[in-house]
Amino acid sequence: MVCAERDFTLTKRTLMSVASLHATAIRQLTPALLSSTATTDAPPVTVGERSKQRYYQTNPVERRFEEVGFPGLTPAEKKTYTHSRLILPVANRQVSLSNKTDREYWKQVTKEGLPCRRLKNNYSWGTDKHGRDVGTYRFEELKKRSLSQAKLTALTVLHRQFLLKREAARSKGAELPQEDIDQEKKRRQEMAALKRELYGEIPGPLGNDPEWDDVIPIPQEEPQDALARIAYTDDYAEAVSYLRAVMASEEYSPRCLRLTEHVIAMNPGHYTVWLYRFKIVSALKLSITDEIQWLNDVALNHLKNYQIWHHRQLLLDHHFANTLSSDAEAAKQFAKSETDFISKILAKDTKNYHVWSYRQYLITKLNYWSPFELATTQSMIEDDLRNNSAWSHRFFIVFSDPSHSTKGSAATEYDPKVPGAILDREIAYAEEKIKLAPQNQSSWLYLRGVLAKGGRGLDTVGDFASQFFSNLGAEDEEVTSSHALDLMSEVYHKQGEIEKAKLCLVELSEKWDPVREGYWKYRLSELK
Amino acid sequence: MAQATADTKSPGLATDAHVKYVLTLDTKTDELDYWMTEHLRLNGAYWGLCALHFLSHPEALPRKETIDFVLSCQHDNGGFGAAPGHDAHILSTVSAVQILAMVDGFEELDARGKGKAVVGKFIADLQNPDSGSFYGDEWGEEDTRFLYAALNALSLLGLLSLVDVDKAVSHVVSCANFDGGYGAKPGAESHSAQIFTCVAALAIAGRLDLVDQEKLGRWLSERQLPGGGLNGRPEKKEDVCYSWWVLSSLQIIDRVHWIDRQALIDFILGCQDPEKGGFSDRPGDMVDVWHTCFGSAGLSLLGYPGMEPVDPRYCMPKKIVARILGE
Repeated sequence: MVCAERDFTLTKRTLMSVASLHATAIRQLTPALLSSTATTDAPPVTVGERSKQRYYQTNPVERRFEEVGFPGLTPAEKKTYTHSRLILPVANRQVSLSNKTDREYWKQVTKEGLPCRRLKNNYSWGTDKHGRDVGTYRFEELKKRSLSQAKLTALTVLHRQFLLKREAARSKGAELPQEDIDQEKKRRQEMAALKRELYGEIPGPLGNDPEWDDVIPIPQEEPQDALARIAYTDDYAEAVSYLRAVMASEEYSPRCLRLTEHVIAMNPGHYTVWLYRFKIVSALKLSITDEIQWLNDVALNHLKNYQIWHHRQLLLDHHFANTLSSDAEAAKQFAKSETDFISKILAKDTKNYHVWSYRQYLITKLNYWSPFELATTQSMIEDDLRNNSAWSHRFFIVFSDPSHSTKGSAATEYDPKVPGAILDREIAYAEEKIKLAPQNQSSWLYLRGVLAKGGRGLDTVGDFASQFFSNLGAEDEEVTSSHALDLMSEVYHKQGEIEKAKLCLVELSEKWDPVREGYWKYRLSELK
Repeated sequence: MAQATADTKSPGLATDAHVKYVLTLDTKTDELDYWMTEHLRLNGAYWGLCALHFLSHPEALPRKETIDFVLSCQHDNGGFGAAPGHDAHILSTVSAVQILAMVDGFEELDARGKGKAVVGKFIADLQNPDSGSFYGDEWGEEDTRFLYAALNALSLLGLLSLVDVDKAVSHVVSCANFDGGYGAKPGAESHSAQIFTCVAALAIAGRLDLVDQEKLGRWLSERQLPGGGLNGRPEKKEDVCYSWWVLSSLQIIDRVHWIDRQALIDFILGCQDPEKGGFSDRPGDMVDVWHTCFGSAGLSLLGYPGMEPVDPRYCMPKKIVARILGE
């Protein structure tokens, strides 16, 4: 029988140092040689060196044999060498000796103190997580590693017991008490830490959670070797591999809902996870308001993410179909809480395209054309006159409100149903804001839009626009708004005052907006 | 009109660095971003391949591997996901079709993939029969981006007849705004990128007559800021990607000369990383493949020397579109 240094099973003496066990065993086996040859060598520093020394100790004359070869050995050495080599074949009856010779042989072996067991040469200790040969470890290092291995083995035993116990409980339709599960969770964390320390394996939080034992994760098909380097990505890769597995089996359960939350927290841009989450919400008939509540926090943390808003729209549609369409009061309440949240998020990101789009969708869906909506939009314009999104929304709520507009009327066309008072109000509003910031594109575009809706000509605001420039073409020319010049060139053109129109465009091209010279030249060419 | 030249105050186009940048994108698998953007992988391949084409290095990506990857993203229903294992979506599907068009791989789609007809059916099934608009996938999100993607892919596949083009056109028209622009859905704010999708869709459908071109051109040309760059909406910052969205729309309605061409070239060139390659949104920011695609597409539209001419409707080389459409 050959003694391999690593062949110890640790189930019984798990917490005992493997290294000291080895030493004890070998000392018992080779007393004679230890006392003779060990003293002649320098004490080993690494475990590899010690293995080598023990190899020579258990293989007499081997070192001499390596140095000079068999013919170079003395007759006594040749005899010892041969005897020691024959121990195993003789013991195993591979070499048949007569009874007498057999007795003689063993007598000789005992006399010479030859080792019955011997170690193999070039024992491989394996490598650690850094790729370092464990043979180069110093004793203290090996002792520590062996202790960790022993601990891991002990934990593995307890872990297997847990699995058996759970299986037994489940076969009776029961579950283990929470206390056991908590202990197992703690145990797996310890095991994960040990595996990481010993072998560099990084099992993520899901692999450590007994709740997910029945799911076999589907790992990424793309190269995985690079992943191990970033701990955060490991967690992500693990979560996504579990996600693939539960999506493939079409599982819709609370734990899957939590898994989607886990993935979304790491990567809210993951498109598919959102769709899966919605499937779970509708399959489990979860409370839409709870889901919205959860979504609010996610939205506040990820302002630029648009999946969040699509998810919200799906929730709205779902909620509308099941509840809101038949409960006007609930619809109003929902619209109110939604617009409250939208205002909150727009306070952080005032021009967020997805949020504004959702707001328009919400108002149309729930028929929420309230004065409150106009007021909140107005206050956003007051905060920032250049918020084009807020202007655009104002146009939408004023001119799409079914109570005073024609259904389906295009945004650019004249709508006779819009009352004059509303047109006057909107024109006055735009003019008031233009006065505060004459070079603001948004308010001028709005003014033009309102005039078109009301079927009113640009000339109706000619006097207003004229106040933003003076002494055109003269030395002391003053222009506070290029948009006013632009508008007045059209007014003059319509009134037949070509020279005046031309002057406006020339000044724009040369002085006030030269970057668009090409455009103004085109406009000039159209005057003829 | 100012003649585009390379010897202006700007540093000149670092073509070699950009090609190298695009080619190394797929090797960065040890970077977190690579994994976090998996849901954009197919789109990313399209942006990278486009950039290489516009930079006149179309052969830089291996054709077979490219086709293999694209086909590995296809589902049985014909649609493509952003990466293997991701759900099929119209945006990744149009990227797949455009990539296959650029590497002349439609035959492989028929031979090794699920075939053109199934792709066409996947897209056609996403049309909302009431409004004429398109969903992005089975989940019913509607956006003019999806409508454009559908018309783009179907026209390249020669399968436009599978959908109600007239209804799609009238949906686009309903997204027109008071300022002359277009939004993502009826009533939504005008946005340069949405304008591109609407105008390009109308161009593919042959219905540019429905666009108030002068009003739109005025709004688009107002996107140029004194620094030469273009923005996406009034009173917002400039960004290289709008060199594509605004400029291609202006090109489609034949009004690129309404803006200052040289100033825009200078702005785009100022956003490149001349050493490591790639373009960013604004000078000094981090480069990415998205801005690299649209920065080089913009330069091509502006007639920058040495670049492959681009088709403003498809964001693909003109000669490839012409070959496929038989124009």
